[in-house]
Amino acid sequence: MRSQKNRSKMAIEMASIFFVTGLFCSSLLASWKPLSDQSDTFFQDRIQPIFRAKCYSCHGPSVQESNYRLDFRELAMNGGDHATAAIIPGNSNASPLIAFASDLRSDWTMPPKQSQKPRLTDEEVASVRDWIDNGAHWPDSANATMVNPMDWWSFKPLRKSQVPATANHPIDAFVHAKLIERGLSMSPPADSLTLARRLYFDLIGLPPSPEELDSFTREFDIDSTSATDRLVEELLAMPQYGERWARHWLDIVHYGDTHGYDKDKQRPNAWPYRDYIIRSLNDDKPYARLVEEQIAGDVLWPGTRDGIEALGFIAAGPWDFIGHAEVSESKTDGKIARHLDRDDMVSNTMGSFCSITVHCAQCHQHKFDPISQEDYYRLQAVFSALDRTDRQYYADDSLQKQFVALERAKNEATSRLKEIEEPLKAMLKSAEPKIKRQRAHWISELERIDGELKRLPPLKAVFAGGIHTGSGTFVGTGAMGGKPRPIHVLYRGQVTQPSAEVGPGALKAFSFSPSEFLLEPNSGEGERRVALAHWITDSTNPLTWRSIVNRVWQFHFGRGLVDTPNDFGHNGALPSHPELLDWLASEFRDSGGSIKGLHRLIVKSDTYRQSSSSNPMGESIDSNNALLWRQNRRRLEAEAIRDSVLAVSGTLDRSMGGPGWQDFLIEHPEHSPHYEYGLADPEDTKTWRRSVYRFIVRSQTQPWMTSLDCADPSIRVDKRNESLSSIQALALLNNGFILSQTKHFAKRIERESDELSVQVDRAYRLALGVSPTTNEHAQMLEFAKSNGLPYLCRLLFNLNAFTFVD
Amino acid sequence: MQSRRNFLNETSGGLGGIALASMLANEGAIRANETTERGHSQSGLHHPAKAKRVVQFFMSGAASHIDLFDFKPELLKRDGQASDFGEPVEAFQNGLGPWLKPLWDFKPYGACGKLLSDTVSPLGAVVDELAFVHNMVSKSGVHSAATLLQSTGFLVPGFPGAGCWVSYGLGAINENLPAFVVLPDHRGFGSNGVKNWDASFLPAQHAGTIIYPGRPDPIADLFPHKTGGYITETGEQQSQRLMQQLNREHAAARTGDARLEGRIRSYELAAKMQLAAPESLDFSAETHQTMKLYGLDRGPQAWEKEINVAEEVFHFGQKCLAARRLLERGVRFVQVWSGNDNGFPRRNWDSHEDVRRDHGPLAMGMATGCAAFIQDLKQRGMLDDTLVLWTTEFGRMPSSQGGKGRDHNPFVFTNWLCGGGIKGGVSYGESDAWGYKPLDRSNPTQVYDIHATILHLLGIDHTKLTYPNNGIDRRLTDVHGKVIRELIG
Repeated sequence: MRSQKNRSKMAIEMASIFFVTGLFCSSLLASWKPLSDQSDTFFQDRIQPIFRAKCYSCHGPSVQESNYRLDFRELAMNGGDHATAAIIPGNSNASPLIAFASDLRSDWTMPPKQSQKPRLTDEEVASVRDWIDNGAHWPDSANATMVNPMDWWSFKPLRKSQVPATANHPIDAFVHAKLIERGLSMSPPADSLTLARRLYFDLIGLPPSPEELDSFTREFDIDSTSATDRLVEELLAMPQYGERWARHWLDIVHYGDTHGYDKDKQRPNAWPYRDYIIRSLNDDKPYARLVEEQIAGDVLWPGTRDGIEALGFIAAGPWDFIGHAEVSESKTDGKIARHLDRDDMVSNTMGSFCSITVHCAQCHQHKFDPISQEDYYRLQAVFSALDRTDRQYYADDSLQKQFVALERAKNEATSRLKEIEEPLKAMLKSAEPKIKRQRAHWISELERIDGELKRLPPLKAVFAGGIHTGSGTFVGTGAMGGKPRPIHVLYRGQVTQPSAEVGPGALKAFSFSPSEFLLEPNSGEGERRVALAHWITDSTNPLTWRSIVNRVWQFHFGRGLVDTPNDFGHNGALPSHPELLDWLASEFRDSGGSIKGLHRLIVKSDTYRQSSSSNPMGESIDSNNALLWRQNRRRLEAEAIRDSVLAVSGTLDRSMGGPGWQDFLIEHPEHSPHYEYGLADPEDTKTWRRSVYRFIVRSQTQPWMTSLDCADPSIRVDKRNESLSSIQALALLNNGFILSQTKHFAKRIERESDELSVQVDRAYRLALGVSPTTNEHAQMLEFAKSNGLPYLCRLLFNLNAFTFVD
Repeated sequence: MQSRRNFLNETSGGLGGIALASMLANEGAIRANETTERGHSQSGLHHPAKAKRVVQFFMSGAASHIDLFDFKPELLKRDGQASDFGEPVEAFQNGLGPWLKPLWDFKPYGACGKLLSDTVSPLGAVVDELAFVHNMVSKSGVHSAATLLQSTGFLVPGFPGAGCWVSYGLGAINENLPAFVVLPDHRGFGSNGVKNWDASFLPAQHAGTIIYPGRPDPIADLFPHKTGGYITETGEQQSQRLMQQLNREHAAARTGDARLEGRIRSYELAAKMQLAAPESLDFSAETHQTMKLYGLDRGPQAWEKEINVAEEVFHFGQKCLAARRLLERGVRFVQVWSGNDNGFPRRNWDSHEDVRRDHGPLAMGMATGCAAFIQDLKQRGMLDDTLVLWTTEFGRMPSSQGGKGRDHNPFVFTNWLCGGGIKGGVSYGESDAWGYKPLDRSNPTQVYDIHATILHLLGIDHTKLTYPNNGIDRRLTDVHGKVIRELIG
């Protein structure tokens, strides 16, 4: 609201300048002549170099402050955001451009004084005046070619594409159509063992047992389609499915169990958010609801456990605890810490759900996408009442409802009492009897509520985005009733240089839904989050639906249809199959946003089920396999390797949920905890649970997992790196975890058979999902004879075949 | 056949195979372009390099420029008088007591006559090699953010350390050792821990590898954990042979996937590292003279409980000698830390309570080790192409905190550089009479300029060493940085 006011104020001032100068100029009208004989070269030789040197850095091809640019004639003339002509041919005195560039109005100075950029010299201003007064001739040859930044695949409305009639399954039809264009065809289907291992790892992140493989193969040989369909349903129904896919989501939202930065304190209550994601995926919660809960679950579904735990999303990323707890909001460093805190919330929200890089508009307009600095700060305003804090709640929904109602009543009673007491000050005794009665009523009401609250069982807590009520330097907004902090556009992103204040909103250039949130003046901060959540899940939002189907696709194929899953903007990659992406996105949206439905759709396609073997034809035409003439062979992630080691060794504890297990000892917990991984006992059975339940430390990432390219919890990871190094080889050969598990693996084999030859075969099948060849078997038997079974198990864990999935 | 380039094009988000070869043999993004295998005709380095290697000394907790390197006679005159900065000052703990003179005397050293504090006097022997930058400024007075700024160029965690960028750009000289090694303070990590040197969005092998010289397990997982008691030398040989054979058979049935061969190679390199790393940390072949130079001739002792010079000299010297040996053997970038986290009792440079108590031993240890390191490099002819940077996250205030301590000063502090093309015996930039802010406030030096200069001396244009992440082609120097020509010899 305020910003609009500022802007219109500016327009009025500008108009009045025109008016005044217009009057002044009228006397000169007689001398005005419409010169068209100004040569093309005048602009190119004299004027454009001035614009280029003095103006382009903020109003040029890559940056356009206030949407104004001086490399493009039509926009240069028409004045960008201010929607008034900036150059009036023939009349330099009336042209705001001159007012900005000269000292005519000191508060309009361009380049701005604080930018410390060189001003136009008097001669340069005179040249520009001369050019304008002579008709401002700007030849086509010197004009930039203007592209509408909204004219971009991901910003266009989602339309359900026509499925080509080349195959039965829509995915195959789209993929075929592209392959045919390039003279390629799909690879033959993968064999049953390969397909089963692929499905197990894709859907639950664990290897199939030899028994499961045997039974699947028997069924597959009779009817491959029904056998596969049955397996897919079985896997999707397993709780391990949610664990597997939650880990992907936790990468994207950069979840961690410590704050990071200095002192790196623990977040003992972060895990309920992790469990919420696992549970929601297992329940196949509609995607729109999943999104809305994570942004505004407390407002949209008050009195529910999910509505609170989901807000862990807002607080998932790293947090400068010292910058909050030891530096007040009035200091520059305190302001920077809080600005960066909101930046993380904004980037996480827009990056995760919309695959758009709004954080690039923090210091200047986005260089590639139609996102203004104002848009960015309006998004900050959505979260400006929040801090990262523990939120109390009950995991039982009926208790939670009761709790929310009591809390609300308590707030009401407290404020009513305050209303009564404040005007009285210390004159309580002399108050009117009626007032005294009212006061007594609210006091007893408060006592009653407190009593009821006391009778409730102990509360749970989740570390989440919320109103913080603190003391000392970290006060939060609680004391102000959760009133959002005022948010200003920051010149060059500097907290010391605030300009116009902005209200909450989203991206202005996206017109499918109002981007400036029209909220009641007295509406709570929660309404801001609701508005953003609804903006994101709007069925016509062109980004949201494409974003999620692309992410799901990536985890099935190792590569998204768009290979930059966090950036659908101009700087990102183009979709390899735009029609397929749009069809999937529409289908997903229209059928209720079922992620399990999307998995079914994808894994039932021939495209998914084809072999990952290469062939010379494909290599020569499309060596990156962007067109999907084969499935991609995938390297297992750190978590899948670790979980597989446990599963194969027979030690995996499948219990779900709860606080993360810790594979480190903490030294010096009082100040800056030292997370000592080297001191942990690999035989500690508490750590033999799935990796998704690992307690994730930011400042001291788990070295073994990190060497295997585990996601860095300090950054939003849309796609993991795949590196190979000697450090990684050493980690898999020598780490205590691997070595202790080799012994358990060996013991398991020994329990299952007495005969070494059988044991070797069994170990191989457990680890790799296939039987060894006779020759392989003979060699491994010999190795086991001289070195023992644990040694053989270590070897198996280190094979390429263990780490790669065909 | 899928080439390595294509494979990496695929995995590195389309940045060309910049990371390509680095995945297999740890060749760098820039140097990799020189090889014919890339099929590119790029010229490799952006311009001829003066330095091949870098060592960065990082004083964690914020070392006081005015007590070590930046002599301020005005503070001697005004010692004890109420401080007046001429403007409102925001100090981290509001430590704006009276002016406090330097805690040690300053004396001139070398041909350049640079004044150094008594507590860093050993550096007098090499002062003619050093180039001081006295007008460094930070963007934050909070340890965590400011440390990240100096180590990664950004205020928030999630960006690769400077050493990661150098590893990514230039790769390893000796593939049997990591390209980027971190020698942490033996007592623990500084602010942000591994976030100061981990690879973040760069491929994991560019992360700093932590080495603790003098420990039986200097690199994590270099040797089998004790639970693997069954591992034997012959077993290892047989195991390596059989693994390689099984992996080759597996790969033969899966043509066109360079990763499979790359992974086989990584196991060969791992075996080589098991030999190369201990050798590089074995000081037994060093002469007595060298050990004495580094203050290591007496070996480890039963140290006093209080922080003391002998202990600091020993531990820092050990890291300095390890650094020299690693650089000598082809490590590209070594980061040496002094001081751990900001806990109590102080074992870092965050002297809010007592500068003399903490800075005394820490500085003497640092100066002894650094001076020995520089002299040693020089006598081995390595100083010419080894670039040395001494840094910290910010400085300390010229006013006192609680009488004997000093609060944070992000407004000005000191760095020094030497070797690798740096002009010695110079002081660049000046702080004001108090050491409170730069004398010329509109032209301070920032970490971006230091990083740009380091990359420049390595033959890299800092604007061209990039990696895409979440919509931005990231650089070590963000959107800033200018090469400081005045420092280049």
